Amino acid sequence: MEERHLTVDQEPPQEAAEVVNRREVRLEPGAEEKLVLQFMDSLNSYLSFSHSLSSTLGQAWMELASARHSMGTARLNTSLLDLKFHPASTTLKITECDDDAKARFVLRKWVSPEEVGEDEDSNSTKSSVPADDDDEAVRRERAKSLSVFGILIPPKLRAAQQSFERALETLVEMANMQSSFLNSFHQLHQEVEDNKE
Amino acid sequence: MANRAQIPTKSSALIAMIADEDTVVGFLLAGVGNVDIRRKTNYLIVDSKTTVKQIEDAFKEFTTREDIAIVLISQYVANMIRFLVDSYNKPVPAILEIPSKDHPYDPAHDSVLSRVKYLFSTESVASGRR
Repeated sequence: MEERHLTVDQEPPQEAAEVVNRREVRLEPGAEEKLVLQFMDSLNSYLSFSHSLSSTLGQAWMELASARHSMGTARLNTSLLDLKFHPASTTLKITECDDDAKARFVLRKWVSPEEVGEDEDSNSTKSSVPADDDDEAVRRERAKSLSVFGILIPPKLRAAQQSFERALETLVEMANMQSSFLNSFHQLHQEVEDNKE
Repeated sequence: MANRAQIPTKSSALIAMIADEDTVVGFLLAGVGNVDIRRKTNYLIVDSKTTVKQIEDAFKEFTTREDIAIVLISQYVANMIRFLVDSYNKPVPAILEIPSKDHPYDPAHDSVLSRVKYLFSTESVASGRR
């Protein structure tokens, strides 16, 4: 008789293991609400950043058009781009967040090729710092980028360069928000699928 | 959690672009242009002569290269290869659809946003609550 009236503590070992396994897979109710909030927050931020990007790019295209007007179309087009070996000065660092399986992108602006080589050799964890305008190396890289289109650079082209740099910063934030809401989405989707079973 | 995608960590990854001339020129001014030893670039300039096949090939190449972290694609160009963009689901490189001068950004056409719209359907929310 005593064997029929089992308490939770006295469940047969196999059933207890199954219960523990199910709890490991399913989210607890509080965690699910937190995920939903995280999803909504990051989606809202993504949409805000995309509005900001549209505005920044609009300004950048206007400045580029002004520069083209003063320089002439022949001096500002893609036929001037050569295919000589040329590493990018502005790159990204990708890391993985410890608590979630989501990528984190960090913008690294105007890094000289020598610095890139040093970072890869030493596995540096230096995080991106927005380029300081007073930094000589940054000025040199910026000037190198502008020099593709000639020596005499009008102010509007410099302004366009800065606007596109701002657009890049916004895009990296959008990528981070996208990574965050996609991560939350996948976890919630998994939870919905598990509930159906 | 099962089936977690592996995030490849990298200290110096590129931003690829598939966009119109002005957008590509602008971002090249910002320093993202890269030409490797084999003269391969991280951008494709789309104009009236660019074929859909070229755009598809560029998209496939950029999304399989290990040195690219983000692919920027003008939304009007993404619309030409929408089936390909819709079927892409890796975390890296991230695909960002951007506006162009003549085609403003429309969230309704964004592949990533379309994928998560499912979460807002009553079917998906109600099914777990019965």
